Amino acid sequence: MASVSELYDVGWEEMRDKLRKWREDNSRNSEQIVDVGEELISDHASKLGDDVWIIYEQVMIAALDCSRDDLALTCLQELRKQFPDSHRVKRLTGMRLEALERYDEANKHYDAILEDDPTNTAARKRKISILKAQGKNGEAIRELNEYLEQFVGDQEAWHELSELYINEHDYGKAAFCLEELMMTNPHNHLYCEQYAEVKYTQGGLENLELSRKYFSQALRLNNRNMRALFGLYMSASHIAASPKVSAKVKKDNIKYAAWAANQINRAYKVKFMKSLVKLLELLSCFFFCFWQLCKTS
Amino acid sequence: MGEVELSCRAYVKMYLHACLFPRCSVNGLLLSSSSSAGGAVCVTDCVPLLHSHLSLAPITQLALTQVDVWCSQTQQRIVGYYQANACTSDSSPTPCALKIADKIAEQFDGAVLLMLDGSKMSPDYRVPPIVMYERKDSRWTLKDKHTIMLRQWEEIRDVASQMLDSGDHSLLVDFDSHLDDITRDWTNQKLNSKIAELCSPVNGNI
Repeated sequence: MASVSELYDVGWEEMRDKLRKWREDNSRNSEQIVDVGEELISDHASKLGDDVWIIYEQVMIAALDCSRDDLALTCLQELRKQFPDSHRVKRLTGMRLEALERYDEANKHYDAILEDDPTNTAARKRKISILKAQGKNGEAIRELNEYLEQFVGDQEAWHELSELYINEHDYGKAAFCLEELMMTNPHNHLYCEQYAEVKYTQGGLENLELSRKYFSQALRLNNRNMRALFGLYMSASHIAASPKVSAKVKKDNIKYAAWAANQINRAYKVKFMKSLVKLLELLSCFFFCFWQLCKTS
Repeated sequence: MGEVELSCRAYVKMYLHACLFPRCSVNGLLLSSSSSAGGAVCVTDCVPLLHSHLSLAPITQLALTQVDVWCSQTQQRIVGYYQANACTSDSSPTPCALKIADKIAEQFDGAVLLMLDGSKMSPDYRVPPIVMYERKDSRWTLKDKHTIMLRQWEEIRDVASQMLDSGDHSLLVDFDSHLDDITRDWTNQKLNSKIAELCSPVNGNI
């Protein structure tokens, strides 16, 4: 089988740089990391200098993700030799046990770290991940809430909590988590859009209006967010179709919906110059929705 | 309730969808292009929908509408719903699965709810890793295994494995991916052709 360097005609420096980029982006493209990293480690470890340790860690985690326990163990053993008393390496040992579904042993490792260092956030989060993996969502939520009381600035944890609440259909609490995230990340269009989706799901006129506002906000931050565009169309249409709104609100929302529909048609037209079928499809879909709208107004 | 037959194309796409997003719950719709004859339903195709936030309404509603429109233009109808849970130890239908399946059942009497059992999806699995439910007395109950048909199961399984090994699952586009890049085709015509090539010695009808 051809090596990565042969297939893509790259040298070891490029492979090393690619791994660094993936680390910085926090990408979870584990199969690629394993392919590139395994070759880099086996053929060029001596050239990597001190970088080799962080690469071992990166490749090890990717290997666990791909069920490559052989590779993971190799990396782990190198790290253990180099850093025998490290908590960071102990956490990796725990992660390997998690991958092998030996959760009790993994928990023991994390508890040992926490006894030594109660502020070790990584170990606490791993324990919560174990609960999630075991399907114990309720407990995971409880533990994560406790964690966030202490570490209130942990964005990753707030997002994880919002996901857990969404899975449990507790949309009110999910919205709260997303509000925290939006406050600290006001320019992140994804949080706005997710918040809008949660509000839309909760339903009711007030939530629909909020949802429309946040879909608009997401679009303002990123005018190519298709979910936000569709969301704006749908929320505005629903508000306009509601019997409880005033004529002015109805008129305004029909305007917003029309604008969104126009933007959507344009986006599809640009991308599907030749695909008239898709465009007609979409137009007929919107025509149908508008027709429904007009019927009820 | 009648028999349900799963075609090669429907099964392979569902399988590849679950394999493409192993860390997420995924779902999709089951389609049929033939009118039910004598209560038997033939699932000829499927549309992979989401791999994130399955229980949020807007995108699900949007996807259902778009698939509905496409179906009416291509002489197909939505006959069921499938889901694969992220947590492989639990393959029971989630509340949102039941909700969507209910909606489909409103429009089609013989609708089915299909759960992919992640724990049985290892390379050499002997039986199809699926659990099917049908609607009886307003509740979703397990369907009798003998009424579920997968013609030439071993061949279909091999086609699925072959496509997974050769990385063809990365060609699959679900509705979520389509929204990330609208040039990508959620009807998966390219993938359908590939499956047809591999399946044609196996099945008379795709």
